[in-house]
Amino acid sequence: MITLNINNKNYNVDVDPETPLLWVLRDTLGLVGTKYGCGIAQCGACTVHLNGQAVRSCVTRVSSVAGRKVVTIEGLSEKGEHPLQKAWIELDVPQCGYCQGGQIMSAAVLIRENKNPTEKDIDNAMAGNICRCGTYLRIRKAIQLAAEIQRKGG
Amino acid sequence: MKFKKTYFFPLKAITVIAIIFSVIAFMSFGFKNESAFNNVKIEIINKDSVESVKAFMDVYKVLTSPRCMNCHPAGDVPLQGDDNRLHNMTPQRGSDGKGIYAMKCSNCHQPTNIAGLNTPPGNPNWHLPPANMKMIFQGRTANQLAKQLVNPKTNGNKTMQQLIAHADDGLVKAGWDPGEGRTVPPMSYEEFKKAWITWIRSGAYAPRSK
Amino acid sequence: MEDIKTNYSRRSFLKSSALAGGGLMISFSALAKFGLDDKVSGLELPDQWYELTGYIKITPDNIIKIFNPNPEFGQNVMTSLPMIVTEELDADWKQVVVEMGQHDSVKLGPQFTGGSNSMRMYWKPLREAGAAARNMLMQAAAQTWSVPVEEVTTKAGMLYHEKSGKSGTYGSFASKASSIPIPKGVKLKDVKNFKVVRSSKKNVEGLKIVTGKPLFGLDYKVEGMLIAMIEHPPAFGMKLRSFDASEALKMPGIKDVFSQKLYEDGFEQGGFDTRTFNDLLVVVGNTTWEVMKARKKLKVEWEPAGDTKNTMSGKREVVVPGELESTSAQLEKMKEYASKPAQQLRKDGDPETAFKNAAKIIERTYNAPFLAHNCMEPMNFFAHVTNEKAIVAGPLQAPGWSEPTLSKLLNLPADKIEIQMTRMGGGFGLRAYGHYIYEAALISKKVKAPVKLIYTREDDMTYGIYRPMYTATYRAALDANKNLIAFHVKGGGIPENAVHANRFPAGAIDNYLAEGWQIPSNITIGAFRAPRSNFAAAAEQSFLDEVAEAMGKDPIDFRLELLKRAKENPVGKNNDYNADRYAEVLKLVKEKSGWNSLENKKYSRGVAAYFCHNSYAAHVVDLIMRDGQPYVERVTSAVDCGIVINPDAAINMIQGAVVDGIGNALYGGLTHKNGVAEQNNFHRYRMIRFHEAPKKIDVHFVQNDIDPTGLGEPPFPPVFGAVANALYKNTGNRFYEQPFILQLNKISKA
Repeated sequence: MITLNINNKNYNVDVDPETPLLWVLRDTLGLVGTKYGCGIAQCGACTVHLNGQAVRSCVTRVSSVAGRKVVTIEGLSEKGEHPLQKAWIELDVPQCGYCQGGQIMSAAVLIRENKNPTEKDIDNAMAGNICRCGTYLRIRKAIQLAAEIQRKGG
Repeated sequence: MKFKKTYFFPLKAITVIAIIFSVIAFMSFGFKNESAFNNVKIEIINKDSVESVKAFMDVYKVLTSPRCMNCHPAGDVPLQGDDNRLHNMTPQRGSDGKGIYAMKCSNCHQPTNIAGLNTPPGNPNWHLPPANMKMIFQGRTANQLAKQLVNPKTNGNKTMQQLIAHADDGLVKAGWDPGEGRTVPPMSYEEFKKAWITWIRSGAYAPRSK
Repeated sequence: MEDIKTNYSRRSFLKSSALAGGGLMISFSALAKFGLDDKVSGLELPDQWYELTGYIKITPDNIIKIFNPNPEFGQNVMTSLPMIVTEELDADWKQVVVEMGQHDSVKLGPQFTGGSNSMRMYWKPLREAGAAARNMLMQAAAQTWSVPVEEVTTKAGMLYHEKSGKSGTYGSFASKASSIPIPKGVKLKDVKNFKVVRSSKKNVEGLKIVTGKPLFGLDYKVEGMLIAMIEHPPAFGMKLRSFDASEALKMPGIKDVFSQKLYEDGFEQGGFDTRTFNDLLVVVGNTTWEVMKARKKLKVEWEPAGDTKNTMSGKREVVVPGELESTSAQLEKMKEYASKPAQQLRKDGDPETAFKNAAKIIERTYNAPFLAHNCMEPMNFFAHVTNEKAIVAGPLQAPGWSEPTLSKLLNLPADKIEIQMTRMGGGFGLRAYGHYIYEAALISKKVKAPVKLIYTREDDMTYGIYRPMYTATYRAALDANKNLIAFHVKGGGIPENAVHANRFPAGAIDNYLAEGWQIPSNITIGAFRAPRSNFAAAAEQSFLDEVAEAMGKDPIDFRLELLKRAKENPVGKNNDYNADRYAEVLKLVKEKSGWNSLENKKYSRGVAAYFCHNSYAAHVVDLIMRDGQPYVERVTSAVDCGIVINPDAAINMIQGAVVDGIGNALYGGLTHKNGVAEQNNFHRYRMIRFHEAPKKIDVHFVQNDIDPTGLGEPPFPPVFGAVANALYKNTGNRFYEQPFILQLNKISKA
């Protein structure tokens, strides 16, 4: 039995400790906001926060997150009110939407650590998240908008 | 610094020249400044520049092989693969060498290797050298690299003793356990360690620059 | 502390819906488990709906549910199609709730997402449905108020009788209206009076996407569902010989390992029943990870499949060669075929003589590799099949095409087969092919349980149904005065060529010849975003650039001259484009990009235009070198797709197509060695990344009132040509082989 803390809730899961966190989230806990895109940490669709850091859950063993704080896209905010979520909706960013949870989780670390990110900062932070539909321009603008919302206390 | 010829000479000539140079080396040691050790205490067991340089060429082969050089890049993006291409998705060094924002090394590189072909290799201490001491291997000649390695100002503030101990560093050893589908350095870890120690203990000489 | 079991139900997953226009949500039971209130913004969950036409249901509280007929994969139909209904219905967008329709061709039409056809196909039917429903409501009000129906007016979900001052909501008349027969031939609005269409509306599922709600096929789950995966052969041209599952069966969570045929011998495949491997080695277990681990324990023997026979649509039998193919050998073979006679597809005038008498001949050959679709969501499908009925759910583009085959394979009549379409994490053409639906269904039938079939990224990328490998040789003949007197395209491909013989510049040149050839292969192919066009535009638009240069002409002016000729004095018949509209997008992009403006001199600029799938698109691509790599910093796009239904979403689509085009032109491609795909995941198959996308893509629409045509594909093909042309301006080298990065690397190393 492994005890997990996901989105401020505790769960006991009976899984092989080597199971990637991604599959525990999706198959065992039914939290499907974290997506499977490649399984080898190349695409970023599986990004979650582990003690605040943006880790790739497809390569993170569930045993290694026991007792640590995990936040998924479902838990980023109560009602979709994180500045990034607001900005994403304001600018109508998604096309198919599959990658967007991971994009937001990566961007969240950026604007937490850097209140005023430059274009280069955004490039450096987001180059790890693939969007097949090509919404990169909108993601960039949404991050800038989210940083602004955050600066204004939103 | 007086440079010694490398060992690519016919054997007889090597022997003769080696004797001559050993004499010179012995004498010039008294005149200071003939290896890379300026003002550094050295624990030299058996100063032998030829042996030292020979050992270093083995060290150089390993350090410029992908498993080592990929994390000692010239730029601020690590390298990847046996072809030393830029690491996919261009993660950045950052000031502490541990990456930045949502691409910190440990975000993907786990404490150990994990099952599965093409998954990121693992180590608890995955990082590049920090921005203020990049310890670049990529593009270095043997001469440059040797000098860089023994100078505390460029080798991460290591003393000679620490340099010797570095061969047992976990991240260094990890080069020989790179995960499914990756090649290991061109000699065994034991051979590398032997060459490393030999190089240092026989004077840590830098091969002649070409 | 909670011990979690999964507790979705099919019904609750599928009845998720969203309130359009404000990102507010109405949740059904599954979503309620995530803690969202059912009562949002004062709207209670209705339990009584009155149906007015197959697309519309209205509650007494005036909530209007519109069914989106076409599955959504990011092209915005789930928002745009309901907008059309809302317009003619004269409802308030804020009152509209959208739900994904089930497969029901009687009520909801053809339900085919592809060919950039959704808007075109549904424009009239949805307008008529909205207008008819509005008319039914007006009749209901007229009857209730005892007034002539001509005196009843509507506005934003309300009915009025001005003379008497009476009014009422649509909801209050919905019950009565639903019993009125659906009128035919109701007058539609004048497009000048549109209030909903042509204004930008937000994605109706936006909030769900950014909060990680279950939406996609891979998210679909029911109680007792098992996970299945298929162990495919390691190479094209191979098949299963034998396997030993003894170790795999001992693995935790594994229920069964077996082999299964997809199609029986002699099965008549439909056009979208393409499959690469017929003998399936299936592993079934409780969870995804357990099945992944068990697969590694399989001991399998594969053998060459040898030559096999396939039937394609129309009972045409084809021989599929058994060779284990390698890219290098394929390229050699293509050179060989290119020099042989080919099938003539179109001839105008006397090209042979013209070329013989030419003062100058320009001849260039272009090549492009197989491309994998790489939808972000890998292939997957859910099926629960019993002897009585089947329920299948997941990401698919064309339920109508898969249903007949499913019916045959399961021996069930169509009315016992329920097909549910989830949101798709990308389609790009791949999800029009039903093999994975049939596989899931057959597996479910065998194990007698609900099953979700999952393809890993490696499975997905190496399965085939690729964009074909193409080549084309173009020739242009100039006379002594540098006039273009003849044009010749000879295109080939594995396994088919990309020649569109009737497209521009056919019709603009007196002497014209188009030929095509192909080489069969066991590497399967399928529709990939603008099939054939995605190569033809690349090659042709690069070639036109070279011809323009040889003639000393500006590339845009050169094209406009040809189009003028095609308009005023067209050559031949069946010229498959409207020269005016084609010229218009070129003029628009010339203007908006500041084509000749001094301030743009710092950019290496490339232009290209194309017409396909009923819309016209032109791009000017502005390229710079950045850290030794080419970077497209800015793009100006001009598009004519008729009436633009949801402008901001349309811009998103075009920007996405530009990014996609740059990525594929520069980086994309699959190679093979002895039948094995050399790229099986994103570490080897390079996808365009965030920092490689342009900073600015300015989109301009030609303003007209022409019935809307699509946007999924048309903006994509010309991007390749524009990038090649910009690279020429930057490096002085022409780029004839995709992906361009290969040649760029050679240049930078030199």
